[in-house]
Amino acid sequence: MTDADLQSAGHGRDAAAASKLRVRGLDFFYGATQTLRNIDMDVPERQVTAIIGPSGCGKSTLLRVFNRIYAIYPKQEARGEVLMDGENILDARYPLNRLRSKVGMVFQKPVPFPMSIYENIAYGIRHHERLAKAKMDARVEQALRQAVLWDEVKDKLKQSALSLSGGQQQRLCIARAVALKPDVLLLDEPTSALDPIATGRIEQLVEELKCDFTIVIVTHNMQQAARVSDQTAFMYMGELIEFGDTEKIFTKPDRKQTEDYITGRFG
Amino acid sequence: MSALVPPSASPGTGTQIASRQRIAHDAWNDRLFRGLLLGCALLVLAALLGAAGSTLWGGRLAFHSFGWKFLVSDRWDAVNGQFGALVPIWGTLMTSLLAMLLAVPVSFGIALFLTEVAPAWLRAPVAAAVELLAGIPSIIYGMWGLFVLAPFLAAHVDPWLNDRLGALPGIGRLFRGPPLGIGMLTAGLVLAVMVIPFISSVMREVFKTVPARLKESAYALGSTTWEVVWNIVLPYTRSAVIGGIFLGLGRALGETMAVTFVLGNAHQFSESLLMPSSSIASVIANEFTEAYTDLHRSALIALGFLLFMVTFVVLAFAKLLLLRLARKEGDV
Amino acid sequence: MNAGSVSRYRHRRLANAMALLLGTLATLFGLFWLVWILWVTVSRGLAAISPALFTQLTPPPPGNGGGLANAFIGSLEVNVIALLAGTPVGIGAGMWLAEYAQRNALGTIIRFLNDILLSAPSIVLGLFVYALVVRPLGHFSALAGGLALALIVLPVVVRTTDEMLRLVPSTMREAALSLGVPQWKVILQILLRSARAGVVTGILLALARISGETAPLLFTSLNNQYWNHDPLKPIATVPVVIFQFAMSPFSGWHALAWAGALVVTLLVFVLGLLSRLLLARSKVIHD
Repeated sequence: MTDADLQSAGHGRDAAAASKLRVRGLDFFYGATQTLRNIDMDVPERQVTAIIGPSGCGKSTLLRVFNRIYAIYPKQEARGEVLMDGENILDARYPLNRLRSKVGMVFQKPVPFPMSIYENIAYGIRHHERLAKAKMDARVEQALRQAVLWDEVKDKLKQSALSLSGGQQQRLCIARAVALKPDVLLLDEPTSALDPIATGRIEQLVEELKCDFTIVIVTHNMQQAARVSDQTAFMYMGELIEFGDTEKIFTKPDRKQTEDYITGRFG
Repeated sequence: MSALVPPSASPGTGTQIASRQRIAHDAWNDRLFRGLLLGCALLVLAALLGAAGSTLWGGRLAFHSFGWKFLVSDRWDAVNGQFGALVPIWGTLMTSLLAMLLAVPVSFGIALFLTEVAPAWLRAPVAAAVELLAGIPSIIYGMWGLFVLAPFLAAHVDPWLNDRLGALPGIGRLFRGPPLGIGMLTAGLVLAVMVIPFISSVMREVFKTVPARLKESAYALGSTTWEVVWNIVLPYTRSAVIGGIFLGLGRALGETMAVTFVLGNAHQFSESLLMPSSSIASVIANEFTEAYTDLHRSALIALGFLLFMVTFVVLAFAKLLLLRLARKEGDV
Repeated sequence: MNAGSVSRYRHRRLANAMALLLGTLATLFGLFWLVWILWVTVSRGLAAISPALFTQLTPPPPGNGGGLANAFIGSLEVNVIALLAGTPVGIGAGMWLAEYAQRNALGTIIRFLNDILLSAPSIVLGLFVYALVVRPLGHFSALAGGLALALIVLPVVVRTTDEMLRLVPSTMREAALSLGVPQWKVILQILLRSARAGVVTGILLALARISGETAPLLFTSLNNQYWNHDPLKPIATVPVVIFQFAMSPFSGWHALAWAGALVVTLLVFVLGLLSRLLLARSKVIHD
């Protein structure tokens, strides 16, 4: 047994012991088309889980199930179970607003709200908690520090968030999500609209954030998945082909399809 | 397992105010808000139905008293309580028809110029200038028509039409009459100027939707600009172009103030385009506040109902044709 | 090339040149009317404009001296009523269309009918408000005039709000909703704010349209030779006064009508210009 194998086995046990999200028999339908088939997957707590696969494989769809953001569109439907801390979040009785305060999301393109930098962060908090001004200031600062943006914006909190650069805007969006103190952070190709330097900073940030949050990141960039994640899921045509320790997936995948994709032999 | 533990029980959430109550509150507010917005949207429906319904109801006395004769009689006599709408209906249709005869080719020419002829830097300013015409309030058109255009036509154009065309057999009847300046010809001309910006801007917009590859392949075969427009662009956009024309027609039919100024308020039927006449809208504008009998007022409201129905049909037809192009574009 | 094809080629080139020439002439024809009408309005309006226009009441016949002060204030009042009544409902309906009814049948129908209302004859809307407000109250009023104009404001605001909200990227919706904020707050505080410039553009366009609108006022707000601040009484408005004065035989009234026409035209153009600038700016932001 190589070191990698030992490590992988170890991680696997950890993951089983403390999974934040347990996906069981998940199907997803877009109208009459099924886009996810029978997904089973355990997302380990306070680790980074990457989901990779060719475009259209359903990786974003899977991510969008975790906070039920798909539910804002008619005709989209998820069946099966996604358990978070033992509760099925797909249950219609599970309140959406609570789910979304516990599961934050960051999107491909940075979407700052048309308001000041400060308000961008405070906006979400204000809906869930009633805080005095000083406490709110502290929370905003904490969130901006967590997103490693504080030093760049501390003197212009009142300025429009639209005045920030693309990379700063994306970190602002991360700060906005972590400001709610969620348990889980979903990142949907968070660097696909950014330049390499900004991308590097976001990746570094992900590394730091995993101490506090369970992170699931969807990426089309395999190197990125290899760099930032502990666990990797490979999806193809709506199915979860392989899921396991990142190092193992990228060095010794069990399945041929995974290997073909990793090595670039895929369509 | 209790599915709905209050989140304050979960770790790391701090002093959350989100509770079961709060969540129910949010959900209720969402439903309330949605209902409120739906109410606003339904008011749009109510405005249209209300306009149709109230004019039908208000016109019931006239419809009931005169039946079909309301549409075919040319006797509009407030003193003796006889109301037939043939003259205003005729006037409305003729002025709009005249307007379209002039406005359609001119609008097509403008759209052709703005999409194919003009240098790029000239297109936006000229298009904006033509659209300024649409912004001028109709009462200004009316005043200009009455004080400037009508005297000009009376002095220079009407006599010429009288002499040259009036003598012709057949169509000559359309051009005989005293050179008053006001009349159907003037109203048609003013209406034409008013609807040109609407029609030309629709044409210009839809011409721009023709895929470049279609035009390029025709040019590659050696077609001239005109041949590309006539053989490729027009057939491709035909339904939307007709839609734009009907949109202009709908506007012309319902236009009130400009026509009221330059059409006169005559209830005598005349074949001549040089004679004063009346249109549905102008009769309502001129007589409504002076109508003292219920029957007279009802007849005017009944006219309003007719106008509303006709314009509704014309505009609905226009919209359907325009939607067809939008759908086609969606497919491409 | 043989002689036949050469002559056919010439013929085609000639047809092309003729068509393009006619297109150019059509454009000149259109611009000719614009210049003529504006020239007449400006020259006759300027000749009649004076400070008294804004300070004195509409004069009785034969209409020498005087101004349009009461009509300006009346128009202001009626337009404010129209905007107050039409704008919130229009924004509400536009939000419903864009956020809750992008693809459903009722949404499609209402969007379609709204476009028809946009071009519907305004005089019929006046008749509707006459039946709705004037008859029950028993008299003409500024309120009735305002409501008639509100029916013109409504479809303009509905359409621009709907279009502008649909331009807001869907990720903005998703980002806001993924914070656990309820949808009504997301729509009002985030999406409407993103579309703000566009919505304001719609309101300006609506104001431009009703500023010169005359027909529906003729039998709703009627006219009034004196000051009136009571929304339940008849009121003078600039377009109706212009109509009355222009159709009269008195040259003093004619002059006032031209002055009023110039002011209204300038106002409409300024509003149109403002809305264009706003729209251009909002497009830049969206990109």
